[in-house]
Amino acid sequence: MKRPKVGFFDFACCEGCQLQVANFGEELLDILDVIDVVEFREVMSEKWEGDFDVAIVEGSITDKHAVERIKRIRERSKVLIAYGSCATIGGVNGMKNAFDLTDIRKYVYGSDYKFFKTQMTKALHQVVKVDYFVNGCPIYPPELVKVLKAALQGIPYYVPDYAVCVDCRLNENVCMYEKGVTCFGPVTRAGCNSWCVNNGNICYGCRGIVSNPNEKGMKEVLTKHNIPIEFILNKVNMYNKCRELVEGGEDDE
Amino acid sequence: MKDLQYVILKKENLDGFISRMSRLRKVSAPVAKGNGEYAFEEVDSSDRIELKYKPTIMPPKKYFMPQEETLLEFSTAKGLATKPVVEYEKMTLFGVHTCDLAGIQCLNAVFSVRPRDYNYLTRKRQIDIIGLECGDYCDEHASCSMVSAHMPSGGYDLFFTDLGDYFIVHMNTQAGEEMIEATKCFESAEETHFDDLQSFRKKKRDTFKSEVQIEPRFIPGLFDACFESSIWKELDAKCLACGNCTNVCPTCYCFDIIDEVGLDLKNGKRYRKWDSCQLEPFAKVAGGENFRKERAARQRHRYYRKFRYPVAKYSKFFCTGCGRCSRSCMAGIHLKDTLNALIKESDSKIWKKWL
Repeated sequence: MKRPKVGFFDFACCEGCQLQVANFGEELLDILDVIDVVEFREVMSEKWEGDFDVAIVEGSITDKHAVERIKRIRERSKVLIAYGSCATIGGVNGMKNAFDLTDIRKYVYGSDYKFFKTQMTKALHQVVKVDYFVNGCPIYPPELVKVLKAALQGIPYYVPDYAVCVDCRLNENVCMYEKGVTCFGPVTRAGCNSWCVNNGNICYGCRGIVSNPNEKGMKEVLTKHNIPIEFILNKVNMYNKCRELVEGGEDDE
Repeated sequence: MKDLQYVILKKENLDGFISRMSRLRKVSAPVAKGNGEYAFEEVDSSDRIELKYKPTIMPPKKYFMPQEETLLEFSTAKGLATKPVVEYEKMTLFGVHTCDLAGIQCLNAVFSVRPRDYNYLTRKRQIDIIGLECGDYCDEHASCSMVSAHMPSGGYDLFFTDLGDYFIVHMNTQAGEEMIEATKCFESAEETHFDDLQSFRKKKRDTFKSEVQIEPRFIPGLFDACFESSIWKELDAKCLACGNCTNVCPTCYCFDIIDEVGLDLKNGKRYRKWDSCQLEPFAKVAGGENFRKERAARQRHRYYRKFRYPVAKYSKFFCTGCGRCSRSCMAGIHLKDTLNALIKESDSKIWKKWL
């Protein structure tokens, strides 16, 4: 079997997810046995002019150039995998959407702000069709392997649509709420094996919110623990601001 | 009177017993995890073992049906070749409370039904169980007395009762006797030890009273009357669908089966992993239909799987009163409260008329 041609791309992001791939270790060799990486800016100089069997794309879409570029990548790719929070849910770049775009440009670029056009931050699927999602900031490497295998087989991958608490309980972590710390596990999509909580951190909601969260119930829990709603919303929005975007909104500035 | 089924273990010899056992095979026992939580973990001495502990985060079912377990290896390289897999490990569980012993017995019943689950049954035979009696309630969430799981009633190889500076130990099986034989830490039980045990049990009977105001025999009827109760709607508003209640339950055994290939896309394995009826995708089928889309329906299902359906199928409750579901529920859905609310609501209905 000819190895499928795979390209890695990035938009607005920290390139940390690409680093996760580069840091795979020995398993990377097994992966390279089955795919032919033809473009991957972070680790190689070569470029590819032809089409891609699989495009693996990091980062969110934040300006007109990015829109054009991702559309072009989409046209050239049979399968498109969004990976990392920026690409799948907008991620931290989405925080921009909480501000007026002119104000935010002035804040970042000072008096020359007019030279820097920008748009509301979008996740990839808010601009082009995405076939597979690998959520997380950064991605959880075993999940990328799972998704890659699904893509190569041409079968769907379902991002778990239940709370991080499921994995967290199975890992027998003491619940953060027991420790008096706020955690977004109860409303965040699982699939990371509760990576952060296993290592003593809280869940920041980087994998996005479950499709049918019990908002009223969660508010009751927060009230019980004397946690102000605004405080929580701010924290949720750190990764999840883009979920509020209405499709087709005219937001060029 | 001398009962050959009983021996004693002086407290100072506990460490010797555990150390010697751990040299023979893996030993797991309850250890502290901080914040008043406990977990069964591997030990090689008695240092970390907590003799007074509230139920561990995960019940011992994690050893009987691992969260992920390979069932089959397959290859499609040349036609289809399959090889069944049974994963097991010889081990001893120390310090299992009576509620968890009851839980294991429920799982045994489920997996013994034909077609028998050989993965479970093979593994079970490799696990020796040493029970440990509670003299008092672990906390306010326990309802072991309601389901009569507070007293030992089998399901163990050895059973320890802490009587101050020694344990009196009941030998229930040959495997239990072999442990005593192999470690040589035990002494024969005398008259005074039985007196101690008797007064311990008497005190215990005074402490443990049914935690819910209903006779167990009326519980199935209560549930028959409450399927359309508004209580389930109340749970709908509270439940976050995090699945904690089922994952920590000693009798929940639902699993999903997944085929996964390796990177070569030819060789792979079929494995099962725990699933939960509380999760959104659990009852979702092809085409997108979800048979239990509402959290109310899912919570109700959970309660019926504890107090109604298994009564019809196995003639026993699948609640052991361990209290884990209540303890681990962030939203404060407490089993005793739910039962009391159902009882109150159906006050006027048939089941209580002739009390």
